[in-house]
Amino acid sequence: MTEKTMARADFYTALVLMAFGIAVTILALQMPPVTERGQSPYSAPGLLPTLLGIVITSLSAIMFVRSLRKIGKNAGVSRGAVKQFFSEEGTRRMCLTILLCLLYAVSLGRVLFPLTTFLFVFVFVLVFEYKLKESFTSQRKKVLLAAVLALCVSASVTGLFQYLFLVNLP
Amino acid sequence: MFEGLQLFAAAIMGFMNFTSIFNALWATQLGIIIGMLPGLTATMGVALLTTLTFHMDPNAAILILICMYVGSIYGGSRSAILLNIPGTPANAATTVDGFPLAKQGLAGKAIGIATTGSFLGSVIGMLTMALFTPLIGTIALSFQSFEFFWFAIFGIVICGNLTAPKDPLKGWISGFLGLFVAMIGMEGIHAYVRYSFGNTNLSGGIALIPAMVGAFGLAEIITVMRYTKFDVVKTKIDRVFPRLGDVFQYWKTIIRSGIIGTFIGAVPGVGEDIAAWVSYDMAKRSAKPKDQELFGKGSVEGLLAAETGNNAAVPGAIIPVLTLAIPGSAPAAVLLGAMLIHGVRPGPLIMVEFPTFVYEVTSMVLIATLAMFILGLCMVRSLVKVLLIPRQKLMPIIFVLCVVGSFALQSRLFDVGIMIVFGIIGFLLREMDYPMAPLVLGIILGDILDKNLRRALVISEGSLQPFFTRPICLVLFIVTVLIIISRMPWFGKLFAAIKSSIFPKKTV
Repeated sequence: MTEKTMARADFYTALVLMAFGIAVTILALQMPPVTERGQSPYSAPGLLPTLLGIVITSLSAIMFVRSLRKIGKNAGVSRGAVKQFFSEEGTRRMCLTILLCLLYAVSLGRVLFPLTTFLFVFVFVLVFEYKLKESFTSQRKKVLLAAVLALCVSASVTGLFQYLFLVNLP
Repeated sequence: MFEGLQLFAAAIMGFMNFTSIFNALWATQLGIIIGMLPGLTATMGVALLTTLTFHMDPNAAILILICMYVGSIYGGSRSAILLNIPGTPANAATTVDGFPLAKQGLAGKAIGIATTGSFLGSVIGMLTMALFTPLIGTIALSFQSFEFFWFAIFGIVICGNLTAPKDPLKGWISGFLGLFVAMIGMEGIHAYVRYSFGNTNLSGGIALIPAMVGAFGLAEIITVMRYTKFDVVKTKIDRVFPRLGDVFQYWKTIIRSGIIGTFIGAVPGVGEDIAAWVSYDMAKRSAKPKDQELFGKGSVEGLLAAETGNNAAVPGAIIPVLTLAIPGSAPAAVLLGAMLIHGVRPGPLIMVEFPTFVYEVTSMVLIATLAMFILGLCMVRSLVKVLLIPRQKLMPIIFVLCVVGSFALQSRLFDVGIMIVFGIIGFLLREMDYPMAPLVLGIILGDILDKNLRRALVISEGSLQPFFTRPICLVLFIVTVLIIISRMPWFGKLFAAIKSSIFPKKTV
């Protein structure tokens, strides 16, 4: 990230963190004082969360002021910058990774573990290796290798953890 | 003294069986491989193995974790030397001189020097650990809630300060966010459920291991997949076994780096990367002017200092885990979690409740160090091929292990969700230069801080006086305030003004 982009990111993060800190403090203040049960008021469960909320709000306020000084009035993000970010190869790879991991996690417990693991590894490898512009026949080896890898991973993880490490699988 | 030696010898003998040696060898080798692969860190390796070994006998499981820890911190030097990319953050300083040596065709020599440095660093750290852990444990017995409160605050502040050198504010925010995460769920004094919003899973709190697997595992998978592949330097790996003369001519650097590494490792949450940089910097400053010029261009002394420093920090980071239940680094935080899972309660009472455990851990470090040294000098050429595995083939396997590991502890899909949430948040925070170590330390220290603050206030009936008048509290308070003040811009200007008024510049 460039210094300006970072300052802009800091500006928005500080806003989110300030709101978060205030919410933490408000919720902490609503926690019950334990004096009605004859306990010391200093053992109240909301004591440290209140202090933490205040500290998080204060630190983010400092960051907010500092980032505001750096970016001046140009806090807005242009449509072009957003478009450029999403058109970058790295962003595409990042989004694909998150999406595939989320899909795998969501399928756990719904689809048999060895099957969903096989599909996840197979699709993951192909998504990043398979080139749509090239013909299938020229990439047959890639597909086969991905299937073999997925099969090995699925079988070995299931066998190793379920029977050797005695770990429950989803 | 002799009783300690006897206990240490008995602990070593306890591990002299086929199963322990086999476990030590495979865990260290796996650690070296994980450390070698850029994007897979020691923390992730230890966190993954914690979840996968929790059905094992406690001593076997903790031996495996320590071997993984030692192996991966060392293993990172391979990619630092061959790719100019540190395998783990602890090996960042290794790239400075390791990669230039590889470019000069001396990759084998560099790997041999790094292995020897790591071995000697671990030995120095282990000896310090054996000597000081019982001593600190005895001193820690006199600590009360007031001291533990300040230790927790001091840990967050110094960890945030050192792990975010560009902007300590982000380090501190990360630390306080970690403390907040620890507040979620049922608290330990009145069993009141905080921030769970009626969710039964959240009322049990956020487990450390799935959170760490996410923050260090998934976050790294996303980071690695985002960027394109790395190129291995094309070099012939010649003689790996170092010549004794090449190493021992720098004995002063080895001892200095070992001591610095151990000391920095013992500072809460600071870790191996800072230990390596400080050791490297000290070696550079202390070198002869002629040798100083070589630093950054392939200095054997620089490489030795960095690797001795980071591996010495490993036993160093375990010292506060055992004596205060406060981790010295992120992997040590996972180790602490693993000890708790296996029924060992580290902390001031360890020498009373588990008197042999400290010596058992020391002997585990010794076994791990020996395994690392032997494996480090063998199979170098064949292991380098691991670096050629394409990321897109390796990362899905790692993610499957992250999922199995998160699920394994309590058989809850909720923990897999926690891992993913922490992975995505961890990735975003890291992209914005927020360090992860204070966050993890915060999750560990949250409970300590909460209980001790309230206990201390109940004992003092609300008076804040003991927080500032007890000797150790006063020292920790002053140091904490000084750390914060020292990072303020006005302090730098004031310091420069005072310095120039005391030592005015001579005018010709």
